[in-house]
Amino acid sequence: MGDDKQKASDIARNIWLAGVGAYGRAVEEAQGRLEKAMEPPKLFRDLVKAGAALEEEARETTEAARHSVEERINRVRENFNNQRPARTEDLVKLSKKVDQLARKVNQLSKALADLGIDSKRGNKAPTKSVTAGPAAVRSKLVRKKAAPRKIAAKEARAGRKARNTGVLASKRTR
Amino acid sequence: MKTRDRILHTSLALFNEEGEAHTTTIDIANEMDISPGNLYYHFKGKDELISELFNQYEHAISLTLSAPMANRLSTRRDSAENNWYYLYVVMEEMYQYRFLYHNLDNLLQRYPPLKRRFKRLIQLKRAAMFTICQALLQQEVINARSQQLLALADNMTLSMTFWLSYDTLVNDRRSPEITIHKGVLQLLTMVAPYLGDDELSFYHDCESIYLAMLADANTPGS
Repeated sequence: MGDDKQKASDIARNIWLAGVGAYGRAVEEAQGRLEKAMEPPKLFRDLVKAGAALEEEARETTEAARHSVEERINRVRENFNNQRPARTEDLVKLSKKVDQLARKVNQLSKALADLGIDSKRGNKAPTKSVTAGPAAVRSKLVRKKAAPRKIAAKEARAGRKARNTGVLASKRTR
Repeated sequence: MKTRDRILHTSLALFNEEGEAHTTTIDIANEMDISPGNLYYHFKGKDELISELFNQYEHAISLTLSAPMANRLSTRRDSAENNWYYLYVVMEEMYQYRFLYHNLDNLLQRYPPLKRRFKRLIQLKRAAMFTICQALLQQEVINARSQQLLALADNMTLSMTFWLSYDTLVNDRRSPEITIHKGVLQLLTMVAPYLGDDELSFYHDCESIYLAMLADANTPGS
């Protein structure tokens, strides 16, 4: 089996080297000789030889190509996985995640409800940390109420900024 | 973009859309709204345009095709899918210069210098397919004898080379996504008999994506 593998990889390498060699000037010479002598195996040998000489040079360019091929493979993979039909195991994973999320939401809303009730009642809680809790939440709520205006202003500013930079960017590309 | 690049760009688009044989340099100049004289200043006729476009294509596809030879696309069984994605990459690249493949014999007869270079590209393609199959065999993704492997690589090269013209012949013009996806599916179909169960699921996914694409394409208004 090991021998087979070696032989197979030699075949691929030789086909490839012949291809690389054909790119060089050597092919012209080899072909001229071929027309005279009609020696196909010799042509192939010559091509392999010429290819080996160019291999070093080719190796550098293929390194760069490899990166771009890798990148493109990644892009295709992403695209492919987006279109891939859902498998049962994916669905199971997804529903587990949904369950987890639902549990978290429940916990949170329960915590909020508890705090809300506490603050409405305004009752005195036994420990300091708990009294601090509702107050902090209340002030947060107040802040949140005040926020929309600020946010709108911020967004407007950001929008202008984005548009400005957009103009700049397009100017630069021109 | 420089005028020279624009000319090449426009020519490629027109050759791909209208067919190379039907496109004249006058058409190209008209399409670009430049004078034929201006075009002539950059390219002394269609031969030069074709030759330059072929240079571009040869350079790009040679690098892509030698990538699997330089380095394995997949190192373990679980990355075997990389090889299938690679087939997309090659097909996409061919699609960009599809005018070459649509009337191949005719084109090579009219531009003899391209013949030898095109042959070399096909050899490279064979070598790339063979390397992929060989890697898959070693990673035990497929199960075949080495004799079959060479034939398999040849068949894949054959299908790949003539897929674009076959698909246009049978289905007229379809969206590039469908054409390319079906092309890869076609290549996978050849490998499928040698595949183990794990990779067969990939094949089935590929199949259902194709059916979904067709359904999408046939829905009016989409």
